[in-house]
Amino acid sequence: MGRLQEHPVVQFRRGKKVTIYFDGKPMEAYEGETVAAALYANGVRIFSRSFKYHRPRGFFCAIGKCSSCMMEVDGIPNVRTCKVYVRDGMQIRSQNSYPDVNNDILGVFDRLDFMFPHGFHYKKFIRPSFLRLFFVNSMRKFTGLGNFPKEEIKERGREETLECDIAIIGAGPAGLSSAIYAGELGADICLMDENPRVGGQLVKQTHRFFGSAEHGAGTRGIKIAENLEKKVREFDNVNISLNTGVFGIYDGTIGAVKDNTLIEIKPKKIIIATGAYERTLIFENNDLPGVYGAGGVQTLMNVYGVKPGDTGLIVGSGNVGLILTYQLLQAGVDVAGIVEAMPVIGGYFVHAAKVRRLGIPIYTSHTIKKAYGSKRVEGAQIVALDDKWQEVPGSERDISCDFICISVGLSPTHELLYQAGAEMRFVPELGGFVPVRNRYMETSREGVYVAGDAAGIEEASTAMIEGRIAGLDSAIKLGYGDKEAEEMRDKFVSDLEEMRRGPFGARILKGLEKVVV
Amino acid sequence: MKMKADVAVIGGGVTGLSIAYNLAKQGIEKVVVLEKRYLGAGSSGRCAGGIREQFSTEPMIKLARKSLDMYEKLSDELNFNILFRQGGYLFLAFNEDDMSEIREHVRLQNSLGVGSRIVTPEEAREIFPELNTDGMVGGAFNRRDGIAFPFPVVWGYARAGERLGVEIRKFTEVRDIIVENGSVKGVVAGEERIDCDFVVNAAGGWSKKIYEMAGLKSFNTPVKHEILATEPLKPFLEPMIVNISAGLYFNQSMRGEIIGGIGTHSEPSTDVSSSFEFVKKFAREIVRLVPKIRGVKVLRQWAGLYDMTPDAQPVLGETEIEGFIQANGFSGHGFMLAPVVGELIAKLIATGKVDPLIRPFGFNRFRDGIEPEHTVVG
Repeated sequence: MGRLQEHPVVQFRRGKKVTIYFDGKPMEAYEGETVAAALYANGVRIFSRSFKYHRPRGFFCAIGKCSSCMMEVDGIPNVRTCKVYVRDGMQIRSQNSYPDVNNDILGVFDRLDFMFPHGFHYKKFIRPSFLRLFFVNSMRKFTGLGNFPKEEIKERGREETLECDIAIIGAGPAGLSSAIYAGELGADICLMDENPRVGGQLVKQTHRFFGSAEHGAGTRGIKIAENLEKKVREFDNVNISLNTGVFGIYDGTIGAVKDNTLIEIKPKKIIIATGAYERTLIFENNDLPGVYGAGGVQTLMNVYGVKPGDTGLIVGSGNVGLILTYQLLQAGVDVAGIVEAMPVIGGYFVHAAKVRRLGIPIYTSHTIKKAYGSKRVEGAQIVALDDKWQEVPGSERDISCDFICISVGLSPTHELLYQAGAEMRFVPELGGFVPVRNRYMETSREGVYVAGDAAGIEEASTAMIEGRIAGLDSAIKLGYGDKEAEEMRDKFVSDLEEMRRGPFGARILKGLEKVVV
Repeated sequence: MKMKADVAVIGGGVTGLSIAYNLAKQGIEKVVVLEKRYLGAGSSGRCAGGIREQFSTEPMIKLARKSLDMYEKLSDELNFNILFRQGGYLFLAFNEDDMSEIREHVRLQNSLGVGSRIVTPEEAREIFPELNTDGMVGGAFNRRDGIAFPFPVVWGYARAGERLGVEIRKFTEVRDIIVENGSVKGVVAGEERIDCDFVVNAAGGWSKKIYEMAGLKSFNTPVKHEILATEPLKPFLEPMIVNISAGLYFNQSMRGEIIGGIGTHSEPSTDVSSSFEFVKKFAREIVRLVPKIRGVKVLRQWAGLYDMTPDAQPVLGETEIEGFIQANGFSGHGFMLAPVVGELIAKLIATGKVDPLIRPFGFNRFRDGIEPEHTVVG
């Protein structure tokens, strides 16, 4: 149920069949699947309830950035279920709901929202004072998400200290490229990623890349990830640490957690390649289960082979929206249409033409107005926009669909850059807050580099080149490599400039002017 | 540009705003609060919100007791719900020396009417069943102590003050204090000179700089104290827990987060950056005391300043410069004392009368030396 068996591009190699328990109910899962993917395949759509109004919340990003899939897993509260693999006998419980997440009686707060406006807890129930005390104590009962653990975790926590030349945070296309090129020069590298596998978002890119063959064009993203992984694993001086979440950078020291181990890393250089997170859009019911990030749907479908639904509506006609549409059709899922607020299609013409040929309508100068449904998406309403971005009255039209994919862009994952003390600027052309850096990707904080989407939203191909530059430059600064390495680094800088020429690069170049010093 | 005020209060934290509100309530017409950043940007917005009367010296117990009385009615008074709840403070000792100090403090507290009591490790577990009592000698508990959420206290005082005509200037840094012939004439704030008869130094961790502007040598030193918050959990912890032997404290906020700190630094500094050392130290100690908490994730950490004095008690009242009034040096207890300090400092300015409750905290005491406060935690 819910799992794809056949796919023209991807072959799903599922692991051993296991049984997991969701709120006590046994469910079938396969080793190598995340808990969130397994639950979805078993028809679970409501993953959590919102903090205050107990609105149903579903799957959204699939990469640990959104928090709407948090559940209690084997007694530990607030676990992001999209980040942990299933184990036989795993006990998964929904949180913040009575009696369960599907039928939460506290969902009534959502109907009574007029009684609880923003900041109500400071302004109401002040007098009489006996009622205030009752209120404060009662309100407390409704706060919090998970439960305090009922049992002590048996395994003891451990501490570990590591030293290395270069610590690379994020093993996506940028981080992997940094590791390969700095590793080649002989630097001692610690490559960390919070996910259970390397490759970042390449692992869901089942399409072929564009550009020059030298930079991976004509190859599918999944294959590029495989190649990079194979290459990086050839180096003994690159230590790959997966399931490793970096939580802080303290004056050049990195704090990370892997399972039960607290790791303190003291590197000479740091490369931050933390990628991006998906943006969402404001419309009525935009938090309804069934409204997903486009990347989240790609992960579900292309990595885990789980069908997101029967008919999707795509919001945003950039490359991600267009490619996703094609990938959905490949997997046998219907697409009701693509909605684009701009008067023109955002992505490459080839992608758009392919989608059009398959008969998928693209509604330009339209936006989504609302999602229908009470516990899951049952349809959507779209509306036309005039040249001043105002809704055209009477142009509303209902679309029949059971899920909605939001592909309206990405924002750089910037938290660690701030913590490292890098000077940050808001650059809309690059997707949000990005660090000031030089042409070799070194930020204003000496020894801290940035690469990939964290440096500004572009493509995997540019992320890989940025990664190479950051890897080479940081290793060179540590005394590795020779004249040849410097020439290679400078060649990649000019390659990047070359790749950004053309209509799609103009906006990026405008953004880069604001941060490259 | 020039402006005239009766009183200029330096510091838009809970102390300064409480003083300003109380001045307006006493009928002082032109009160201006000068804040370098935003309201609560200093230590008020960075503290855990604990309010207690379990102290170790008679003046502190009396002052804190009055403040706790006022906190019980503060939501009514400000017409703003500060989410005050009285889950008690549980002090714990893990060696004989600390326990005998606790016994002494409780004896003194009881003699002054505080309802604190000595508890055995078993009784401590009845209060909070998740405690690991291995090595615990005992402790003290006072049901009446509690926790408020610091931000509504700051905002509540600001709003109530503004309703009575207090002028609050945010992002306005005081650059100089004008003193002529031994008395205050005004302050320079931003680009402007404000003429006034009284200047109140309620600058918390930055009070030392304000003393210097007036040409006084202060005994205050700012020290960084760190604090963290975990993910929110359903309520399971009522009181504030203090392991006096480890310098650890924590409670569960209204939202459900565990908020706590542990003493990590002692050198003078106005730096408020976060350290790895602190998270590690806190995690080790809280897991030792509450073993099941392992697995609960830390969400945020930050730091604030304790404005320390030689005896860990505040500086309240007048100095040799006429009109230069002090309300600083709280040594980590400014939030819990703000209501009483606001009322009594306002009374001092309005009537010239030094209330007996604040008399022991005069600026000149450091030249004589008095009994230090022992229960500084975090």
